Amino acid sequence: MTYSHLEEVSGEVGAFQLKVRKKARYVNEDLCTGCGACVEKCPTTVEDAFNIGLGERKAIYKYFPQGIPSTHCIDAENCRQLGQGKKCGICAKVCQAGAVDYEQQDQLVDLEVGAIVLATGYDVFDPSVIPEYGYGRIDNVVTAIEFERLLSASGPTHGHLDRPSELALRVEIAALDKDLKKFNRQIDKLEEKHGKKTAEFVKEFKAGQAGEDGDFERWASLAEKAAVAEEKLAPLNKKEAAAHTAKKLAFIQCVGSRDFRFNRFCSSYCCMHSVKEAMIAHEHDNETTSSIFCMDLRAVGRGFEEYKLRGGNSANIQYIRGRVAEITEDEAHNPIVWYESTTTRKVEHETFDMVVLATACVPSAGTPKLAELMGLDLDENGFFKTDSLIPLDTSRPGIFVCGCAQGPMDIPESVAQASSAAARAAEVVFTAPKAAAGGGK
Amino acid sequence: MSNDVMVLGGGIAGIQTSLDLAEMGIQVHLVETLPCIGGKMAQLDKTFPTNDCAI
Repeated sequence: MTYSHLEEVSGEVGAFQLKVRKKARYVNEDLCTGCGACVEKCPTTVEDAFNIGLGERKAIYKYFPQGIPSTHCIDAENCRQLGQGKKCGICAKVCQAGAVDYEQQDQLVDLEVGAIVLATGYDVFDPSVIPEYGYGRIDNVVTAIEFERLLSASGPTHGHLDRPSELALRVEIAALDKDLKKFNRQIDKLEEKHGKKTAEFVKEFKAGQAGEDGDFERWASLAEKAAVAEEKLAPLNKKEAAAHTAKKLAFIQCVGSRDFRFNRFCSSYCCMHSVKEAMIAHEHDNETTSSIFCMDLRAVGRGFEEYKLRGGNSANIQYIRGRVAEITEDEAHNPIVWYESTTTRKVEHETFDMVVLATACVPSAGTPKLAELMGLDLDENGFFKTDSLIPLDTSRPGIFVCGCAQGPMDIPESVAQASSAAARAAEVVFTAPKAAAGGGK
Repeated sequence: MSNDVMVLGGGIAGIQTSLDLAEMGIQVHLVETLPCIGGKMAQLDKTFPTNDCAI
């Protein structure tokens, strides 16, 4: 059940009673073929959460291109018809399958299960609370997951390493261009109506020789607006022409983890994540060079050390031991990284095209609420509490936890834990009736 | 008494758990808050240490 959340839990191991709210998608799952005709015509664009705000999506959308189920979904809050009470209904008109249903309601589903597995994952640490790294203030400082989307062929830049400052510049240019085209269309109409060129008219108007006409005031103001927009556009276009993709990258490790101010724990996967991102960036463009700033690079896992060395030997990655103190920015939006190199024992600085922050893995936002709902304990870091000898059992019998809901871990470890949690849950389900017959609870 | 299992969260861990349970013949209810399953891993381009595609 996608687009659903758990509302109530009662009962005990072997017989948990659950209430799950299946939120209204406003699209009939049985009828939608996922063709995407509705997306093409939807007039509302909003920031795309899957691309962490780097791209845009429509109010009717599929969460990501290969998403399962392929049923589309209307984001009611941003929809003109549902959220804003305007007349729209375009998606319903273009849907050949007749799947759009504005009347759909949330459904409450009652379930009874023998065991529960929590695989609620993690959230990415928000680095804007670290003022010295300038995230949010400096355009070209991004988080690892944002960088991942920029690198992805299905991402907002189709895998080109365009810098966020240039993406913002392009948005600005597009907006100005749109305005300019609008002004020019209106000016063209006026030119045609009065049989005069704008330059000629403006001259006459300024000299007071243009005479009287209802249109003239508007014409003059339009001509002025167009001139201002053109003037603004010229330097921006020049900047855009000079723009290049990011070739010199810096990766900063332990952003929000192993830091007494935020989280003391090690997020475990970020070192390898940064090495991987640097390698993929190098694969895209072999002129790319990367510097990874770390306290120590933790390549713990099968094949990880070799991977790290391969990055250093063949992907232009330089590993620098030292903690970054501050990131500043020059006029061309290039971030400057200030750090103490512990090998040379000097404070140094270097300019990069883009800085990637290896942000910590923190408990997902809903974890405390879920723990309260289910009556579970959390550990000192806010993840679900488990015992180190029975690492998948939570504090309540019959409820198991796996993956990053239990603590930071990488994908292979998550998968291993998941299989293990499945085995633990199966154990409960298969042995439960026997336990009951034996007089146990 | 019920022999079903609920898996909360449709990321890589949740999907793997559900598949394993289903293979054992157990009815699984996979609950995910987002419109699609896949979780964080779907946002990744490639995975370490083999640079395999994440999707």
